[in-house]
Amino acid sequence: MSRYRPDLSDEPAVRLDGVSLTYERTGEVLSEIDLVLRQGSFTFLTGPSGAGKSSLLKLMYLAPAPTRGGIRLFGRQTFELKRKQLAALRRRIGVVFQEFRLLDHLTAFENVALPLRVSGQKPDAYQNEVIDLLRWVGLGERVDALTPSLSGGEQQRVAIARALINKPDLLIADEPTGNVDPEMGQKIMRLFAELNKRVGTTILIATHDLDLIREFEAPVLRLSNGMLVRDVEYGAAE
Amino acid sequence: MSRRETPLLPVSDAREAALFFVVGALCFLAALAALTTRGTYKAAEAWGAQIEGDLTVIMRDTDRRTAEEAASRVSNFANVFEARILNDSEVETLLEPSFGPGGMPQGLPVPFLMVVQADTAVGDPSQAIEGVLDDLQIDGSVAGNAGYAENVRGGLNTLRLMALSIVALLSATAVAVIAFATHAALLARRDIVDVLHLSGAEDRYIAGLFERRFWILALQAGMGGAIAALMVTALIVFSGSSAEGVEAQLLPQLSLDFWDIVILLVTPVMAGLAARMAARLTVLASLKDTL
Repeated sequence: MSRYRPDLSDEPAVRLDGVSLTYERTGEVLSEIDLVLRQGSFTFLTGPSGAGKSSLLKLMYLAPAPTRGGIRLFGRQTFELKRKQLAALRRRIGVVFQEFRLLDHLTAFENVALPLRVSGQKPDAYQNEVIDLLRWVGLGERVDALTPSLSGGEQQRVAIARALINKPDLLIADEPTGNVDPEMGQKIMRLFAELNKRVGTTILIATHDLDLIREFEAPVLRLSNGMLVRDVEYGAAE
Repeated sequence: MSRRETPLLPVSDAREAALFFVVGALCFLAALAALTTRGTYKAAEAWGAQIEGDLTVIMRDTDRRTAEEAASRVSNFANVFEARILNDSEVETLLEPSFGPGGMPQGLPVPFLMVVQADTAVGDPSQAIEGVLDDLQIDGSVAGNAGYAENVRGGLNTLRLMALSIVALLSATAVAVIAFATHAALLARRDIVDVLHLSGAEDRYIAGLFERRFWILALQAGMGGAIAALMVTALIVFSGSSAEGVEAQLLPQLSLDFWDIVILLVTPVMAGLAARMAARLTVLASLKDTL
């Protein structure tokens, strides 16, 4: 197992240079990460529990600031950007959170429409689009259901629809098939693959599901003890 | 048909109900303290002016007709509300502590006493009264309460300062507690802040949502507190109007004039602004940890 070294030949969608992340309570969770996700790439991120997968994803969707190092997204150094520019950048990223992060007092429709709403769009402009997407993830009959009335799998699908509604340039998903049945899991993964191929969306999926990784034969990044390493165990690394 | 947008913040929860109560109670106390302080101010002003304006003119070796003439002339002064000669029974009551009830000896040469109520804010009439006494060739003197009034005024000033300090302290405490309670209520909404932030909302947009929510909440609660203070004040005013004599003079002069209404209107606005500012600072501080 060797430390992962990225290919720097073109301007990537995501580039992490010597990024470390330290939490006050738990100490360093990521150490000197160098990572490149090329535009239009489809990549899996795996590793044991506590390896720092979720922390790495958080850095990429601009939740915490790294303790050290730099993050470039779509060619822009994030620490050089103003907060307004960061918000605009964040709108180019779709995120499927492991714990869904839906707002309980909103309906499935309103949760999916949230990224559009906060960017100032009116319901008339996105109504059909949101409903179509909810139908596609199998929630056409649950459009007006409040979050607490949805099952875990349904909430997962709402979270996925919310991540896709903005047609993001970068899609980050943390265990996106963890709470859905295999059939829906396949459907979601096929959608991701389609987005990647047809639209060119850069996709990074953190998962424990080895079958999923084998089936899609995409590059795999493996995290171990807060360090990123190349792992060819599943036969899919670059 | 267009869909109605549900507010991005939940309507309310138990934490906000607690905040509503805290803001309402503090606004009630602050408004009541401010109104009472104004009342104390007004009472002190009136009491001080009355003491300073009370003059007694002692007229010796003269007859009642001349004394009445002097009183008539004095009462015509612009800064004099009233000037009159005390009648025999009033003099007897005055001397009762020395001679006992009905014990004043017949033929005792008691000087005529003129009581004068003047508006000292316009001017001290003592010299003009002495001029009247000279003009009518009355051997008399004017006794004012200047020395005594100075002590009273000093005491009243201390009272005013204390009342003002209490209002200032209570207002500052109210603002601090409202800010703290808002901060606590908002921390419980951290999940919403995070979701909005990660959905691409700008800091100003997120802060604006919470500012509006807590501004309206504190404004409503503050209005409730101010209305309660108004009702209590009205009750005191109503009770005070039936008091008479010394009791009436010592009761705070609570009334509802223009400035009292201003106090009642400003209190909820101040509470709203405190909550709004706290909400803004809390949201921006919580977002500061993020990129």
